[in-house]
Amino acid sequence: MALQIIVCVKSVVVKPPKRNKVDRSAGSIDLNPFDKPAIELAVRLKAQFGGSITALTMGPKSAETALYDAMSMGADRGILLCDPALAGSDTLATSLALSAALKKINDFDLLLFGVRTSDSDTGQVGPQVAELMQLPFVSGLESIEPDGQGFKLIRLIDGFVEEFKAMLPVAMSVHPSAVVPRDSSLSGIEESFEVKPIELIKADELGLDPGVLGEAGSPTRVAGMKKIPKEKKCEFIDGSDTDIAAKLLKVITETGVIS
Amino acid sequence: MIDKLLDGKYHAIRKSVRDFCEREVKPVAAEIDKEASFPWEIVEKMAKLNYFGIQTPKELGGSGMDTLGYTIVVEEIARAAGGLGLCVTVHNSVAVYPIMAFGNDEQKKKFVPPLAKGEKIGAFCLTEPNAGSDASGIEATAISDGDHYIVNANKVFVTNGGVADTCLFFVRTDPDAGRRGISVLIVERGTPGFVAGELEDMSGMRCNQVSSLRLYDCKVPKENLLGREGMGLLIGLNALDVGRMGIAAQAVGIAQAAFEEATKYSMQRKQFNTPIANHQAIQMMLADMATQVEAARALVQRAASMRDKGLPFSKEAAMAKLFASETSSRVADMAVQVHGGYGYSKSYPVERYYRDARVTRIYEGTAEIHRIVIAKNVLDEME
Repeated sequence: MALQIIVCVKSVVVKPPKRNKVDRSAGSIDLNPFDKPAIELAVRLKAQFGGSITALTMGPKSAETALYDAMSMGADRGILLCDPALAGSDTLATSLALSAALKKINDFDLLLFGVRTSDSDTGQVGPQVAELMQLPFVSGLESIEPDGQGFKLIRLIDGFVEEFKAMLPVAMSVHPSAVVPRDSSLSGIEESFEVKPIELIKADELGLDPGVLGEAGSPTRVAGMKKIPKEKKCEFIDGSDTDIAAKLLKVITETGVIS
Repeated sequence: MIDKLLDGKYHAIRKSVRDFCEREVKPVAAEIDKEASFPWEIVEKMAKLNYFGIQTPKELGGSGMDTLGYTIVVEEIARAAGGLGLCVTVHNSVAVYPIMAFGNDEQKKKFVPPLAKGEKIGAFCLTEPNAGSDASGIEATAISDGDHYIVNANKVFVTNGGVADTCLFFVRTDPDAGRRGISVLIVERGTPGFVAGELEDMSGMRCNQVSSLRLYDCKVPKENLLGREGMGLLIGLNALDVGRMGIAAQAVGIAQAAFEEATKYSMQRKQFNTPIANHQAIQMMLADMATQVEAARALVQRAASMRDKGLPFSKEAAMAKLFASETSSRVADMAVQVHGGYGYSKSYPVERYYRDARVTRIYEGTAEIHRIVIAKNVLDEME
């Protein structure tokens, strides 16, 4: 049972904007760390069942670094959905564009997402795409195994284990604790840049009304963004060992770390 | 960001190796220096990521990367632990590379894959008690005996010596042929008569298992002769041309680490009611360190790019090695100065960088030998 897997990934901003302008140049962006477990799971499933892995992202040209990272880890190809008409998309417009792109791409069995992104943290795109594509969706997937004609999907939530059974195709977001993502090997990086293909999809290939895309199609808009200053406080505790232990215990208890 | 002019692949290489080293190597760097211990667990992980077959073709178990990528990998490992960067660069450039460049197909198929996969570690055994910069003074002998050589050798200061499995021995096959009487034999640990000496108690690069390696009436099959008899010095010099770029990259890595530590410390340490980074005396040093590290890296990457383009690179590699190694010492020295008394304490990593940097001016060709190489090239060009 060879699996055709598509992993939707995002190139996230890792540096705070300067003068309200987001810097998406190399060195200021990175593959969303929450997408890495989804890629890792895909690579393991491919090793187990065979098939292929496609990494899909939407963003400016620089977002292809996320695809290269995904391919370095083991994805077979990358697809970049890139067009000035898509700039300013919120999660809804992004989900619409991604689902239109997915319909253009080959059929798939599994559609994987990270649970959220480290820069905007909405966790909305995965479920929205699934909804737009009329696919079953399991969030926070912990493990997956074959079960008859379909798959058994385990999800951890608030101290409970939820078990789902789903026929393919199915969409899911992968919990960060599900698998430990691998480091890219040098041969993985070399293959990613020198051998594996990246395909470009433009907005006019999506067959969507331009009014639903980009800023025009986005009911929400980010009005501003600034970094939260982290205040570190260093406090020295003086006194005898017994005093220090007692004071330390009090401080730790007050912070709620222990009760 | 360091590689502003380079393509995305080189960013990806640097980031990937840096992430790995920050997580796996840096936390134990002080300990493996103190204990002079070889971090086998980390080395096994590095092997899985192809760090032991960086430029080796894929079909022989490596990643097939170019020289520029290679220098970035070595720089990043050395930034975390100099002795581990040393292990990787010596293994790749003066153990695996000569077999790739001068070995026949059987030798490549037999020796290279286990080296490239990191299952075996390589060493380059040239230096003897009476032969170093003057490699023609080699006294190790290999006497022909049917389809074998009987080899006697005493090699000292062998990088990776304590852990190496596949060793390139420079031996004299013709006692009367002077420089042309030297040959290279591939000798594997475990061959009867192969003896590894005690580990050297070195000042820096202490996690590297530097030792002497001796061969006592060791029977080495003639099929292990690299190239032809008498090609030893040619192979050695050729390997060292490539090796120089690795050592230069390693020196840049140590300098980069020293510069970063000094910068961070200067922003935290307060004197006269302000972080010392606000004092111009410190800023002068930070500016000099930053400039010199960039210049050294530029020379290394230029030499590497020349090799990748198939251009002669011997002079440029020598310049890169000379400048980067002297930069590394200078920058580490300034980093100690920025730290003041703390920089002289083993509690801070700059003390280690200071020790690690020093040897880059000595091994794989001293700074003086490199000046001679450069001068010869410069004078030849003027003729």
